[in-house]
Amino acid sequence: MELQGVHSFLESSAAARPDKVALVHDGERVSYRLLNRAASRLAAFLVQRGVFPGDRVVIMLSNGVKYVASYYGVLKAGAVAVPLNVETGQETLSRLLEELQPVGIILEQGGGFLLQQLPLAPPSVRFVLAADASFPVCEPRLVWGWDEALGGEELPAGTRAVPAESLASIIYTSGSTGQPKGVMLSHRNIVSNTRSIVEYLHLTESDIQMVVLPFFYVMGKSLLNTHIAVGGTVVINNNFAYTASVIRQMAEEGVTGFSGVPSTYAYLLHRSPLASFRDQLPSLRYCTQAGGHMPREIKERLLQVLPPHTRLFIMYGATEAAARLTYVEPERLPEKLASIGKAIPGVTVRVLNPQGEELAQGECGELVASGDNIMLGYWNDPEATARVLDRNGYHTGDLGYRDADGYLYVTGRKDHLLKVGGHRIDPQEVEEVLMSSGFLLEVVVLGLDDPLLGKKLVALAVPLGSDPSDRTLLSFCHARLPRHKVPGEIRLVAALPKYPSGKIDRASCLSLCS
Amino acid sequence: MNLKDEIRNFVVETFLFGDAGGLTDDSSFIREGIIDSTGILQLVAYLQERYQVAVADDELIPENLDSVQRVAAFVEGKRNGASCAGSEG
Repeated sequence: MELQGVHSFLESSAAARPDKVALVHDGERVSYRLLNRAASRLAAFLVQRGVFPGDRVVIMLSNGVKYVASYYGVLKAGAVAVPLNVETGQETLSRLLEELQPVGIILEQGGGFLLQQLPLAPPSVRFVLAADASFPVCEPRLVWGWDEALGGEELPAGTRAVPAESLASIIYTSGSTGQPKGVMLSHRNIVSNTRSIVEYLHLTESDIQMVVLPFFYVMGKSLLNTHIAVGGTVVINNNFAYTASVIRQMAEEGVTGFSGVPSTYAYLLHRSPLASFRDQLPSLRYCTQAGGHMPREIKERLLQVLPPHTRLFIMYGATEAAARLTYVEPERLPEKLASIGKAIPGVTVRVLNPQGEELAQGECGELVASGDNIMLGYWNDPEATARVLDRNGYHTGDLGYRDADGYLYVTGRKDHLLKVGGHRIDPQEVEEVLMSSGFLLEVVVLGLDDPLLGKKLVALAVPLGSDPSDRTLLSFCHARLPRHKVPGEIRLVAALPKYPSGKIDRASCLSLCS
Repeated sequence: MNLKDEIRNFVVETFLFGDAGGLTDDSSFIREGIIDSTGILQLVAYLQERYQVAVADDELIPENLDSVQRVAAFVEGKRNGASCAGSEG
């Protein structure tokens, strides 16, 4: 199949089914025709502002119709879409704008402080588009309102040629291990991964996806692209904090797919009416999970609680892989519950030793991935790029092995390993044991500096119902783990700090402890 | 201190680090970025402990919890034994 730009997913679907509902958000239902028109008008606006192919345009919008129009509009103009977390702090934002040197910024009220502090923006910024405001006409101008910007003609499709290798998007990692890094994804990276996901999830135009993950996070982005590619419908709900409202909307809209990270499912299982809505989700064809290791206990419970016709896909990926690397076929999940599965179509994942040699089954090494989806590198950071990309592919930083059936397992992250006394301990193993107690909603195991041991293991745990005593939890651990892997202390807390993606923010957890 | 003030104080102290800024009784916790999904659980835990009210899973909807005003009305309703939005299931 000829490789086109990411935005051609939208253009093709708009041509094939213009009146189909592409997006549902807060009572608004937007057809493919209208969505594509908005994106094309935005592209024309960008071209008029002097945006050239390769220029960066920052998008600081929460999930919504304007986000989607902006994302595809920027791509249609041949520019690079750089979605940022709407809650990026001023200091980080200042640093990111400096390194991105964007030509423009699209923001909403949440980013309004930027409007007041335009000196923050580097001189490269030639326009600011305020998505939820309008401004009186005055020239020359820096700030534009949404309606003014989209009031003109559409940019005809294909005006800007977009080579497959050209940069489409820069997506920032959550920065769980140091500063966030800008992952450069080409049109080829995103298009190939999108097609691959569509293939293994068997997505069609009948699919209706509930999206609670932010689009600026790579998994949210791939939910958008895959469903726009097949002409399906994306239901946006930014209220996951109120889980009951999400489940109700899933029932009302006849949602066929739901996706989340581990904490999403922990909340759905334990803090939502999912079980009581089991009979009201007849269309829910599948659920997908990615974004880190999900404890076995949650997977088992999900298999019991989800409607019998709902297939659960456990998946694995990375921002650097344009989202997805592997998945477990739902039919094999019960017997491969701890596995991340096998590589998706078009991707190869191997287990290598530090010398780059492939290891035999059962031997533990680093997971290294290759395929058309692997990023071009990190923005403005050739050293960090050289650390993870080489002739073998992308070094994920995840440690793991392959079983006799070819299924892959992640045992932990290289940079999460804790040195306690003379032992190297992977917190994931300890977290898994604590979760299997059935007393906890979620848990994180951290290493606190200790003058004697180097690091001391401390668990921060959120209890499910009535608080279990730390004695109960510790004796549970003692029965299942060698002594050196049992946390020295278990602290019960009401909640764990998270990134907007829902992933646990280990650095903030650590600062809670100190 | 009345119920609404207590709830406002909890929100200000827990999520706004003591800075009440532009928080009004009707400010949407989620839309205005005051509380995230983790925070809603903290809020619910507080309500259950402080006011000895049970919050059912199907009551986790914005109509009950998304502003100081709504939380106060929700707790008040619970105390008076009135049915709350979502409780009919």
